[in-house]
Amino acid sequence: MTSSPSNTEISAHPEPSETGSPRSLEERFRALVSSVKDYAIFMLDPTGRIETWNAGAERTKGYTADEIIGQHMSRFYTPEDLARGLPAKLLAQAVRDGRVEIEGWRVRKDGTRFWADVVITALVDDGQLMGFAKVTRDLTERLHRQEEQLRLAHAEEAVRLRDEFLSIAAHELRTPLSALQLQLQGLLERPDGVEPRIRAKLERACRSGDRLVTLVDALLDVSRITTGSFNLTPTRFDLTVAVQEVVERFREHAARASSTVTVRSEPGLEGRWDRLRIEQVVTNLLTNALKYAAGTPVEIALSGTDRDVTLTMSDEGPGIPESEKERVFLRFERAAPMRNFGGLGLGLYVARQIVEAHGGEISLTPGRPRGAQFVIRLPRAHLPGGTG
Amino acid sequence: MSHTVLVVEDDVDIRQALIEIIEEHGFGALGAVDGADALKILSRATELPCVILLDLMMPVMDGAEFRQAQRQDPRFASIPVVVLSAYRDLDRHAAPLEAVSVLRKPPSVRELVTVLHAHC
Repeated sequence: MTSSPSNTEISAHPEPSETGSPRSLEERFRALVSSVKDYAIFMLDPTGRIETWNAGAERTKGYTADEIIGQHMSRFYTPEDLARGLPAKLLAQAVRDGRVEIEGWRVRKDGTRFWADVVITALVDDGQLMGFAKVTRDLTERLHRQEEQLRLAHAEEAVRLRDEFLSIAAHELRTPLSALQLQLQGLLERPDGVEPRIRAKLERACRSGDRLVTLVDALLDVSRITTGSFNLTPTRFDLTVAVQEVVERFREHAARASSTVTVRSEPGLEGRWDRLRIEQVVTNLLTNALKYAAGTPVEIALSGTDRDVTLTMSDEGPGIPESEKERVFLRFERAAPMRNFGGLGLGLYVARQIVEAHGGEISLTPGRPRGAQFVIRLPRAHLPGGTG
Repeated sequence: MSHTVLVVEDDVDIRQALIEIIEEHGFGALGAVDGADALKILSRATELPCVILLDLMMPVMDGAEFRQAQRQDPRFASIPVVVLSAYRDLDRHAAPLEAVSVLRKPPSVRELVTVLHAHC
């Protein structure tokens, strides 16, 4: 194994002295210290004035030896630390304890600050203080990395708390909503009938309840996806049948949006998927199409190969700008302005998670002159299990 | 055959709404706040219910625990159970309970009444 070069650049070979004889151990040590670039190593007299200076000190603090030798070490301290007398306190502590180590902001020649790890060692000979050795390391990059990690951890925690809140809120909303829907349906389905004017109001209230349930369920799905408790239950079925059932459920909704929904399909599009979830994908796409492209026809085309099936849903609405085509699949995102359209911006996110959990892909067809076109490719047998 | 339905549901508003709908459609109804309460009601009943509408998530004794206790008691084991659940993938949650039917919460009045007619 070869050793990698250290960050600390030192001269490995002792150089001959001016007399031509090999340098003494002390001279070589002095040469080593003066050439170290990653650590500022210098000596102070007993009052704190700088006596020696090395390459690392020049690199870290910006002063040349000529500029700094004879100056007091307090020059490196911030005005705040000077105001509380930190330099004197550190020297006094080094005298008392033998050494002191501290991290803090220090000031370079150009006025910029760096985060320093400082060790001051008292040099005592025969009980008499000879001065101090001071070693300073610039840890600014490490500090920035730590701060970045901390920011990331805080951001992740904030996202986790948000998801947890959404999950709790969604669960808590679901129960009273169920009670409300039951009360409304109970009134609507009374065996002795309901006056037509009241019936219309109740039907509208029921539809509002259904919309609330859809929104709450979307939040629950997101919390399941983010917590990893999003499970698929695969069975074998024909995609065309499932799509037609969804379209049938949307007949009234499509009529209210003044849109027609047509399905064109090849025969034999069987595969092994989670039916409920696939129906949810179609539901989410269709909900979007009828919301953003209301009044235009929606077409669903289904085709297949031996390995996979493809569902293409096209509308003739305003479409989605090229720049938004990835963003619409993210959580709480939408291409349309929020004030114009309701919803949580979760439908396409959930759809993509479901399709990808099936080993498939969902994308927006680029470059369409008008309308949006979503293409979903689903492998026929990605999910494990028998014939279902 | 009895025409009484036992509704096991912890949320008072859902339980009350279900009881009202059931009674308005010509059946009798009893309410239990959880699985343990349901077992008590069954033990005291002079006539057993024709069907049990069972919520899954409840405090004290949940739907699965109730179903286990019910199946182990020969007096009640044969009463059919219809599971009610807010889970989207309710089949997966309800399958181990071997219910005669599974309804997503809230069930539509039509599907609820259809299920009751099939068993009562």
